[in-house]
Amino acid sequence: MFETTDLNQRNRQVESRVKTLFLLMTLLLILPVLVILTMLVIKGGPMLSIDFLFTEPTQGMTAGGILPALVGTVWLVVVALLASVPFGVAAALYLSEYAADNWLTRIINLAIINLAGVPSIVHALFGVGAFVLFFRFGTSILAASLTLAVMTLPVVIVSTREALQAVPHAFREACWNMGATRWQTIRRVVLPNSISGILTGVILEVSRTAGETAPIMFTGAAFYLPFLPQSVYDQTMAMSLHLFVISTQVPDVPEGLPYGVALVLIGMVLSMNALSIAFRTYLRGKKKW
Amino acid sequence: MTTRYNSDLHRFGTLALLLVTLVACGRPSDNGDGGSRQVIQNKGSDTLVNVAQAWAEEYKTVKPEVAVAVTGGGSGTGISALINGTVDLASSSRQIKASEKQQAQKNGVEPKEHIVGFDALAIFLHPDNPIEEMSLQQLAAIYGEGGTIDSWSQLGVSVPGCGSDEIVRVSRQNNSGTYAYFKQAVLGKGMEYKLGSRDLHGSKDVVDLVEHTPCAIGYSGLAYANEGVKVPCVRRQDGGECVAPSVASALDKSYAIARPLFMYTAGEPQGEVAEYLQWILSHDGQCILFEKGYAPVLTVTCS
Repeated sequence: MFETTDLNQRNRQVESRVKTLFLLMTLLLILPVLVILTMLVIKGGPMLSIDFLFTEPTQGMTAGGILPALVGTVWLVVVALLASVPFGVAAALYLSEYAADNWLTRIINLAIINLAGVPSIVHALFGVGAFVLFFRFGTSILAASLTLAVMTLPVVIVSTREALQAVPHAFREACWNMGATRWQTIRRVVLPNSISGILTGVILEVSRTAGETAPIMFTGAAFYLPFLPQSVYDQTMAMSLHLFVISTQVPDVPEGLPYGVALVLIGMVLSMNALSIAFRTYLRGKKKW
Repeated sequence: MTTRYNSDLHRFGTLALLLVTLVACGRPSDNGDGGSRQVIQNKGSDTLVNVAQAWAEEYKTVKPEVAVAVTGGGSGTGISALINGTVDLASSSRQIKASEKQQAQKNGVEPKEHIVGFDALAIFLHPDNPIEEMSLQQLAAIYGEGGTIDSWSQLGVSVPGCGSDEIVRVSRQNNSGTYAYFKQAVLGKGMEYKLGSRDLHGSKDVVDLVEHTPCAIGYSGLAYANEGVKVPCVRRQDGGECVAPSVASALDKSYAIARPLFMYTAGEPQGEVAEYLQWILSHDGQCILFEKGYAPVLTVTCS
């Protein structure tokens, strides 16, 4: 057998130290998540009940439930999805399946990447200028959702494009060789094979949309509303803003209440993510390669 | 093969349909009359926002067919929304500025002022701070540009827990009505704040910070005071009578930094907005304001 030399031994030691260090760093990363979740469950858990989810806030928002905020967040997310998914998927299809690799495409790609980097508060101001004032939607679900949609479009486009490009090129070529048009290929081959990836992107967008506060603060979310929204032209309360409001603006809020709201919000987001993972696993099982 | 792929697409379609149904399910059932509901938009002052919320909540039982939507953001935010014509009522903890009035008139809006209550601006200190009394001059020298007081020892005290002796000034963001009123009433007209204060975004934040910072001094509506902070009395002049902030001293104007609270409407209020304002100024409405720690515009006897 080989004798271990000093050099060998030293290398091995360094190796194990580096590995431990990296492991510790990884654990450190998980720590905040665990701490946050435990805190939320311990402090907010006792608040949760069916009544908490399905009644309106009372006594200056220091008691009662969160129904208007919950319903409002669902409205905002759904309308934002209806606006962003068709545009996002269409744009991704164009960029991935039709666009030639020329300067225009490259500029569009650059724009999408930059759009993804714009801070959400800037999107909020854009939303006020464009949707609230210019298009005269007023402060409404429509304006807020469109702002959210603009903000999340890059996410949808990028994730959809990645899903499309994960479909092997040979599939398309085989299809074209049968005499199919591009659209027929997209419809029958590319989309069915990439739908899991697209859905994953969409669901991730949902969780991001549900948690955003800045873009809806000026465009459609209210401090307090005594009614549930009935159309996209109504203002609405929202979970994220409600959490902000009761933890910074309202005096004498019982300590558990903000934690309860946060727990429901994070529960919504996490169950969405879980749904996304389940979907992906389910659809991946049906993949042909 | 194709049929199988298609069924996947169909599932996607079903999912989309499901989402749309969800929208429909979001529709509330508590309010059968739907279309006839009228919404009053009320936006502005963070000082007033909790009272405005309480009014809106109570008005639901007074007149269920009218809904009042409340948004905060600061007095300046409310007034500019009134100028842009996006709200019916702008709540404000300061008077409208001449420049804002001009801009409103340019937009064809004639802001009409309504005083809906009074508020004593309390000074907040850490409970360990030995100071019990302050004067306007001292406050101006602490907060105002060119003011000479920067340390607690200059006020003749040493604050336990405040090793640096430096006075940590806690203030508000510059579109706050509280910020504007304090500037005018304490620093004097045309004076500016000393740089280096911590400008926070809400009265509650001010109280929270002072509660946990021995070196700090802050100011905000008396309604936000809690057991965690000390509220000194304030002298109008050095050597004058020291008056503690309270609803009563705000009303009889013996307290030096009390201010009226406003609601602005675009022109003379009409219809439901007028009725709502009338209710706010009624005994019931003023009782709610009183319970929130503000001084009412009329004598009330609340249960």
